[in-house]
Amino acid sequence: MTGFLNKMKYPGRWSLFRSDDRLLLMIFAIIVGICSGLAALLLNRGLETMLEWLHHYRFYWWAIFLPAAGAALSSLFLEKIVNEGAGHGVPEVIYAVSRYGGLLRLRSSFSRLISSFLTIGSGGSAGPEAPVVMSGAAIGSNIAQAFSLNDRQRVALVGCGAAGAIAAIFNAPISGMVFAIEVILGEWSTMNIIPIAIAAVAGTEVSRLLKGNQIAFAHRDFNIHFHDILACVGLAVFCALVSILLTRALRSMHHVSKGVTLPLWVRAAIGGSMVGAIGYFLPYVLGEGYHAIRTAIEGGFSGGFLLVTVIALVKVLATALTLGSGGSGGIFAPCLVIGAFVGLSFHRFMAMVWSSVHWVNEGCFALLGMAGLISGILQAPLTGIFLVIEITGGYEVILPLIVVSAISTTLCHYLEPASFYLKDLVEQGQLLRPGTDARVLTDLSVQELLETDCICVHPDMRLVDFIDIVKSSHRNYFPVEDQQSRQFVGMIHLDDIRPYLFDPAMHHAVLTGQLMNPHVKTVSLHDDLSEVLQKMDADHIFSMPVVSYSRFLGMISKATLLDQYRKELMVQTGRF
Amino acid sequence: MKLPMKTVAGGLNLPVSTIDRWIRQGRIPIQRSGIDVVFSHAALEKWAATHNLPFSLNGSQANDLPPEALESLVAAMQRGKVCHRVAGTDAVAVLRSAVDCIDFLSKDIRDELFEKLIEREGLASTGIGNGIAIPHPRDPLSRPPETPIIATCFLEKPIDFNAIDDHPVSVFFLLISPTVKHHLHLLSRLSFCIRDKAFVAFLRAHPDGAALFSRIAEFEKQLDDL
Repeated sequence: MTGFLNKMKYPGRWSLFRSDDRLLLMIFAIIVGICSGLAALLLNRGLETMLEWLHHYRFYWWAIFLPAAGAALSSLFLEKIVNEGAGHGVPEVIYAVSRYGGLLRLRSSFSRLISSFLTIGSGGSAGPEAPVVMSGAAIGSNIAQAFSLNDRQRVALVGCGAAGAIAAIFNAPISGMVFAIEVILGEWSTMNIIPIAIAAVAGTEVSRLLKGNQIAFAHRDFNIHFHDILACVGLAVFCALVSILLTRALRSMHHVSKGVTLPLWVRAAIGGSMVGAIGYFLPYVLGEGYHAIRTAIEGGFSGGFLLVTVIALVKVLATALTLGSGGSGGIFAPCLVIGAFVGLSFHRFMAMVWSSVHWVNEGCFALLGMAGLISGILQAPLTGIFLVIEITGGYEVILPLIVVSAISTTLCHYLEPASFYLKDLVEQGQLLRPGTDARVLTDLSVQELLETDCICVHPDMRLVDFIDIVKSSHRNYFPVEDQQSRQFVGMIHLDDIRPYLFDPAMHHAVLTGQLMNPHVKTVSLHDDLSEVLQKMDADHIFSMPVVSYSRFLGMISKATLLDQYRKELMVQTGRF
Repeated sequence: MKLPMKTVAGGLNLPVSTIDRWIRQGRIPIQRSGIDVVFSHAALEKWAATHNLPFSLNGSQANDLPPEALESLVAAMQRGKVCHRVAGTDAVAVLRSAVDCIDFLSKDIRDELFEKLIEREGLASTGIGNGIAIPHPRDPLSRPPETPIIATCFLEKPIDFNAIDDHPVSVFFLLISPTVKHHLHLLSRLSFCIRDKAFVAFLRAHPDGAALFSRIAEFEKQLDDL
């Protein structure tokens, strides 16, 4: 009976779940996809209601303080109540995936939903996608923990959560799948792709059941000519430049905000009120901006070249102010808005310069601009292409879409080698994609490479006795320990003392304490292997002693490291 | 077949902590029974093969003999013979007579041994001084004996063997080993005995087998006590 109860307590040990790992993952993928889809819809519906409700008050002068209040409340909630950092959360998910096998806190599954609801609902310029990705990922991670799944399975479920969330919010299963694999996991393997695809389908189904099967941004048919495709090259360059501008604006606003010695919520409020002030004159820049995108794609936007360009640039500023000052939300939706306006602006420019040419409808350029911005900022061309195709239902634009995405990604990569999501991680050296050198070295620990077959000697030993020990050892290194305290005092390397070994006159006259090197560099058990290797390379040595609390634990050598490194790499990159 | 973690770690030649981490990360196939982790031999072998990892459960190498498995000098000498008055006027003739003393080896093996001894003497003399030589083939014979053999030959009259101290040689220790490792082990023990001046003098008196063995046994006891 107790055995049965014990088994019930840990669902991870139910024999049903242990029968086949892949089946198990597929079942969990459905659950995670549904949960993260629901979370995404919840935020989406909440934001729609909130924005609609506040819409009536936008014309009062005090409405400029609404985003300030939202951003301040959001940062207070994150900082004081759930104790989480500001920002959109995607880098945290990528970091958790690469460093801790996708381990995320339970509270992350709702914290960003609430904070971004406050920020965006009040009018802040940010997107709800990154918060729902974080939330979906945390749901996947916590379900995996509840069922005591291993790291690999947990990472797959984190990907499922992200895919389900994106799929549900945009009614776009392929984008969800591609985003999860290309951006979040960075690893294309069957082990991940199948459950993630299932989760994306589950998330989309939830969205279709509750919201109806509607394409997010429907558009008219486009009649694309060859000269339109040529013009795309120019659009892609524009998109890349605006992507770089947005990335740099976000980062520099973040640095400026960090330099101010006010509490975080006050900084968020200042940023928010500035956004509110901008929004008072240009309401297009407020909120997640789905409405503005819809108008742009339908070709119903009446403003001229100048107005459209100003909106695109002001949206960049508003997004930088909202997110840089401490508001909570993602850059996905702002990217789509900015992209749409960059597209419109480029179309107006082309129509002005070559007025005799019959250009395709401006909605098409808005759509291509969106793909260009997403591909440029995320440096994830596939996500950009599939997202725009799915949210607009426009397969006929596939050719110019690929051209814009590819060129924009390449140019952005040239100017900013790491994408917006990965920039901080790359700078901290924490981007550890599977199968890379950094990942292998992080996974291996000094403990695993420890060679414990060294014979310890003490400093008062005569050379003749030491030679007897040399005879019975097959190592060239001999750690020297104090006889009483057993503390590590130095190291003898045979190469250093070879001349004395063959000199019988020295055998009784020299003590090991005189032969040892007392200033040998040591490694501790918790050192990073990349640092250990750097030390070895700097001093041209192949072995180092591992010492913890003045006690010798063993040696670490490049030979053993190579052996283990190779095995680790084979296991990490091979198929299960 | 179910395997415990330690055996698996040994089979893959990895520390247990690595296997532990691989289980946590889901990189190695396991079966759970309750909270215990067990490995299936067949699944693990398949997994190791697809990942190109060496995996074998009988990890110790065959030629890595533990020290106690190596023969003692006395046993090898008793297996060979002690021959007195071995005839011959030059090195080749004496070597031939010495080889023929080991009459329990077949004619073919004796011929091969003789050829290899001559070959080895051509490289450098095995006369190590004090009237003693240790002729031996450079490599083990094509059909080596299962255990090492040392034949002790006292020569009828000392001959010029090109020894390092240019003294004529009167005693041969003919050494035949199944492996180089055995050879080095016995050679090191033998040279320990020969370094003793009293033993060299004792050999000059051409002692009989029993006396020789008891002397050697004394030396070996000293060596083992070290």
